[in-house]
Amino acid sequence: MKSPLASTALFHLGPVPVTEAVAVTWAIMALLAAGAWLATRRLSLQPSRLQACLELIVETVDSQIRDTMQAEPPPYRAFIGTLFAFIFVANWSSLVPGVEPPTAHLETDAALALLVFIAVIWFGIRAGGVGGYLATFASPSPLMIPLNFIESLTRTFSLLVRLFGNVMSGVFVIGIVLSLAGLLVPIPLMALDLLTGAVQAYIFAVLAMVFIAGALGEAKSNKRTPT
Amino acid sequence: MTIDWWTLGLQTVNVAVLVWLLARFFWRPVSAMIAERQVAAGKELAEAAARQAEAEKALADIAATRAGLAKEREALLVAAAAEADKERAARLEKATREIAALHDAAKAAVTKEREAALASWRGHAATLAVEIAARLLKRLDGAAVRKAFLDELLHEIGGLTQAQRGDLAGGALELVSAVPLTDAEQAQCRAGLAQALGPDLQLAFTVDAAQIAGFVLRGPRLAVSDSWRGDLDRILAELGDDA
Repeated sequence: MKSPLASTALFHLGPVPVTEAVAVTWAIMALLAAGAWLATRRLSLQPSRLQACLELIVETVDSQIRDTMQAEPPPYRAFIGTLFAFIFVANWSSLVPGVEPPTAHLETDAALALLVFIAVIWFGIRAGGVGGYLATFASPSPLMIPLNFIESLTRTFSLLVRLFGNVMSGVFVIGIVLSLAGLLVPIPLMALDLLTGAVQAYIFAVLAMVFIAGALGEAKSNKRTPT
Repeated sequence: MTIDWWTLGLQTVNVAVLVWLLARFFWRPVSAMIAERQVAAGKELAEAAARQAEAEKALADIAATRAGLAKEREALLVAAAAEADKERAARLEKATREIAALHDAAKAAVTKEREAALASWRGHAATLAVEIAARLLKRLDGAAVRKAFLDELLHEIGGLTQAQRGDLAGGALELVSAVPLTDAEQAQCRAGLAQALGPDLQLAFTVDAAQIAGFVLRGPRLAVSDSWRGDLDRILAELGDDA
């Protein structure tokens, strides 16, 4: 059995190896982008069932952003919503026979965590400026600067590890059970893996919102009362 | 466990591109449509609220118009009642006046008619009385009565002024009696008149039975009467004046 920790290059584009996770990610990107384009071609004020479902998704994401971040959704909707949609679809891509979820690979989860890390910095600076954002590391005391800096790294690392651990473990367990018990035995575990995948997508998106909201709140307060 | 940095970079770029793609093709169009629908719904709500306000205003106007109509109707009824009362009072007053006028006219007509009847009956009564008196007095027409009337005539002539006597005696005189006078009586009359008016007397004797008794002396400009006819005519005239 192949180790889920190993990344196998399908082919190379020059010096760049294209792994299976990258290829599946491209497929997911194509699927989501094409689906979004097809679904939103004929939007109207009198919504169809499909349009109503799409609007329900958007409004749900907006509602979550409002509830979690206490902010208006438009600046964060695309990032948070896309994170959730990509992780959700990537986790559930294991339903396709022979496809391994990209999130079961460390590089994909690290890329997602890295994007969240960058987004926290970006939205923090946009809300409070560079000074305001950097001042958040000195909150509540300059003595906390090292700890806050380490915290910003470790929480990003925790995002990476949490998602990777849950998805990878699911795939790993299903692979082991499949190799030991037979064809239909892993089905309950696969159903549990689907639930875990949906929950992990939600948790990742919510944690991203929490981290960004934390940076926003502190940066804004530092901008209003410069020290 | 090792990390493939190329894959990490590719996946980072991939997810960033996916964020852009979905923002371009999903999140923005759908959220824009939601916002557009919210704007349209808000506009329709505003229009509905405006229509509702307009309807409420129209309703209030109708209510005010109804109230005004009721008030106007009440005012018209009051005015009509006042006009009717005024007209009734005017007609009543006019009728009262007309009744009073008719009553007065009827009363005046009755009074006039009664007076006319009374006068007529009085005239008839007087005429009858004079006729009765004349018939009765005819029985008294004797020499003594004529002598008494002659004396009374001479007495009246004696009471005339000198000018009246001149007017009386200025021409031929006519002595009217009810019955023809005897010669002696004519002589007696001529003597008495000559004594009263002077000796140059042109006297003629005529008879008028209507005089009943007594004499009438007629001159050219003056006449002196002392007869029962004259007395009865005078009494009759007085009775007529009294009536």
